[in-house]
Amino acid sequence: MAYYQQPCDSYFVESHDDRETRFRQEMSERESYAKRQTQLAIAEELSQLASYEYRDQILEHMEMMESITLPDVAAIDIQTEIQWFMRPYLLDFLSEAHSAFGLLPETLFLTINVLDRYCSRRVVYKKHYQLVGCCALLIASKYGDRKDRVPTIKELKAMCCGLYEDEMFTQMEWHVLVTVDWLIGHPTIDSFLQLALENIPYDPEVEHMACYIAETAMFHKEFVSKRPSDIARTSLAVARYILGRPQASNDEWASKYDHQTLLSLSQQLHQPSGVLSRKYSSAHLSKVSIILEGFMARQASISRCYATPPTPPAETCAEDCKEQLLQNKLPVTPTKPRYLPSMNNGCLTPPITPTNQDYYSGPNAGMGNFHRPPTPTNLTSHPSNQQYGPCSLPPISQTAPMF
Amino acid sequence: MDPNNSLRGSINPQQSQQNPYLPLGHQDPAHQPLPHQPAQGSSLKRQITDQLVAPSDILEYNRPNKRVKDTSQGMDKRHPSSFQQLEKLGEGTYATVFKGRNRQTGELVALKEIHLDSEEGTPSTAIREISLMKELKHDNIVSLHDVIHTENKLMLVFEYMDKDLKKYMDSRGSGGQLDYITIKSFMHQLLKGIAFCHENRVLHRDLKPQNLLINNRGQLKLADFGLARAFGIPVNTFSNEVVTLWYRAPDVLLGSRTYNTSIDIWSAGCIMAEMYTGRPLFPGTTNEDQLQKIFRIMGTPSECSWPGISQFPEYKSNFHVYNTQDLRIFLPQIDQVGLDLISRMLQLRPEMRIDAQRALQHSWFRDLGTVRTQQAQAQQAQQQQQFGGMGMGPPQGGGFGYGVT
Repeated sequence: MAYYQQPCDSYFVESHDDRETRFRQEMSERESYAKRQTQLAIAEELSQLASYEYRDQILEHMEMMESITLPDVAAIDIQTEIQWFMRPYLLDFLSEAHSAFGLLPETLFLTINVLDRYCSRRVVYKKHYQLVGCCALLIASKYGDRKDRVPTIKELKAMCCGLYEDEMFTQMEWHVLVTVDWLIGHPTIDSFLQLALENIPYDPEVEHMACYIAETAMFHKEFVSKRPSDIARTSLAVARYILGRPQASNDEWASKYDHQTLLSLSQQLHQPSGVLSRKYSSAHLSKVSIILEGFMARQASISRCYATPPTPPAETCAEDCKEQLLQNKLPVTPTKPRYLPSMNNGCLTPPITPTNQDYYSGPNAGMGNFHRPPTPTNLTSHPSNQQYGPCSLPPISQTAPMF
Repeated sequence: MDPNNSLRGSINPQQSQQNPYLPLGHQDPAHQPLPHQPAQGSSLKRQITDQLVAPSDILEYNRPNKRVKDTSQGMDKRHPSSFQQLEKLGEGTYATVFKGRNRQTGELVALKEIHLDSEEGTPSTAIREISLMKELKHDNIVSLHDVIHTENKLMLVFEYMDKDLKKYMDSRGSGGQLDYITIKSFMHQLLKGIAFCHENRVLHRDLKPQNLLINNRGQLKLADFGLARAFGIPVNTFSNEVVTLWYRAPDVLLGSRTYNTSIDIWSAGCIMAEMYTGRPLFPGTTNEDQLQKIFRIMGTPSECSWPGISQFPEYKSNFHVYNTQDLRIFLPQIDQVGLDLISRMLQLRPEMRIDAQRALQHSWFRDLGTVRTQQAQAQQAQQQQQFGGMGMGPPQGGGFGYGVT
């Protein structure tokens, strides 16, 4: 058997007995690993079969469903009490709760959709905004997650520091359900992303980066009424650009993304929510927030180097990045951006040698920027609330003193 | 207790034009959407309502193209007391099903009452079932007319169907066996319903005769989506605690959590066999017994016939080895073409099972047109015959197909 030829690679082997148990353990571990792999292979084959048979109809249905489950930004605009600047704080809270309960990735997207749809149809008091958010989370997890993962009302109540009574949760849950007309089956960004990544060799870094970018987009008003399928494809394109991976070929569904969305999305990457970037800095999510930060820092210093006044006027910068992004997009095989000779390599693994010590002084230096106090006194200071002009890539240090 | 009375009592008649199914204190959800707090005085409420009228009017008015149903329409229909409650059709831990009559139109309905857990709010099964049924509008899927909420109950109003397939078979005499014409028509409708679910990325996951409803016009509709769920592409992993044991696919019995649409096809195959014989094909008692009953007829699979089978969590190397039997022994009435279709559905390996769309194209359905006319003729005769036998006996367990378990 092949297993017997494997050397025992443990350093602390004390006795023969111990060694034997260890060996047996390893054996059974390997066996169960092999079993899991076979299971995965079988699952993949099955999934491909279902996909082969039903993909087109399912995609059509998903696109129909997304069009009837879109929130309405204009309607949320006329809310009297709740303001847009409050939303990122609520989303921070919800994504922390989402991680704490260990819910499926799609549940977070569904939660935000249900929340926004409710706010598109009902007037919400400031003091109840968090309650609506919690109930959206509850509904989304009841819809998609395993029963034992669904948060209990007691847990949610504790997370809100007892701000709301138990009964308020059940009443609001019901009211949210009625308001969204019981249509919970909103196809999430995540589900479109999975569809776009189907039949492609698994690349966790791209997947996690696209997911990170999509979640960042959810924090911004301008994406609230955008179709999840558009955001999914655009996030994927941006993620591939940042990671220097080839774009989808032209005939694929995934390649059909909107340039305008691409531009506005690329403008929102410089200051993601602290909660999000912390979440995505973990190893099991490929540390994509650190990769993105390194990328942004390099972008910033490069745009500084090439502009004649040290702080470039916003327009020039926007032109630059527009060109960079479009240039990378149009051909099937991406060409290297004109000003960024080092763009397509070196992004795969941080740390990246910084070109300017002022803006980037170590692999984790940027992380400091994200540790903001949980409840800042100045409410508009949430990173996602910071409004930038058309310039998409201001160095973080330039904007920091503003807040 | 007569729920009609208690419900009627809780609703102010003047408000019935608005949203009567909301908890008390909600005057109109469009204007006063938040949970009622007794502490707030009515003057404060009025003040808030006045403030908010204008924006919400705009909210409702500016979007005529939205397909979201306007809640102000069909209000009368949604009034709980607008249904006369008739006899109980079934009861379970999750819900109770009554026959009902719409007082205005006289239309018969099925009322599924779900007990609300005051601790945890709306059950996840109800959320999934309602949400999925709203997406699935099809001739062969029972239609959900309405959702009505009262103090402690959720009432789902379904179209009324006369019986479920189990009772239909029992009522036909002849030991539950159905005739060739009926089987073909029912199988076609069943597969059409399944295909529609799968095209809309929904797995039913609990197909059995009790969940297939039949009306007097010979229509068959899928019901009880309490275990159903939406799947993605690629297909995600699920719980393997699904489907009533007798209709559960062997891959699920072997512990697979990554089944796909083929899980519903296996159930359909079992149902087809049952319509021929009047008895379940694989009436197992436990997970293991179920597998054994399947293997006894279909043959015990090996790594040869099913590569990868030994890697399933519930696979035992000491499974009793049976030879594959000819299905015709168990289904003597079946014709050659029908036998081909059923054996394509009852494939042990999920990847070998035919899908619903292709099954509908199977040559067994080629003479469906002629069968249909025959059926129509047969039905007229039958209806007269059945008229006396319409009253349904006491429901067994599952409770009349709308799903109460």
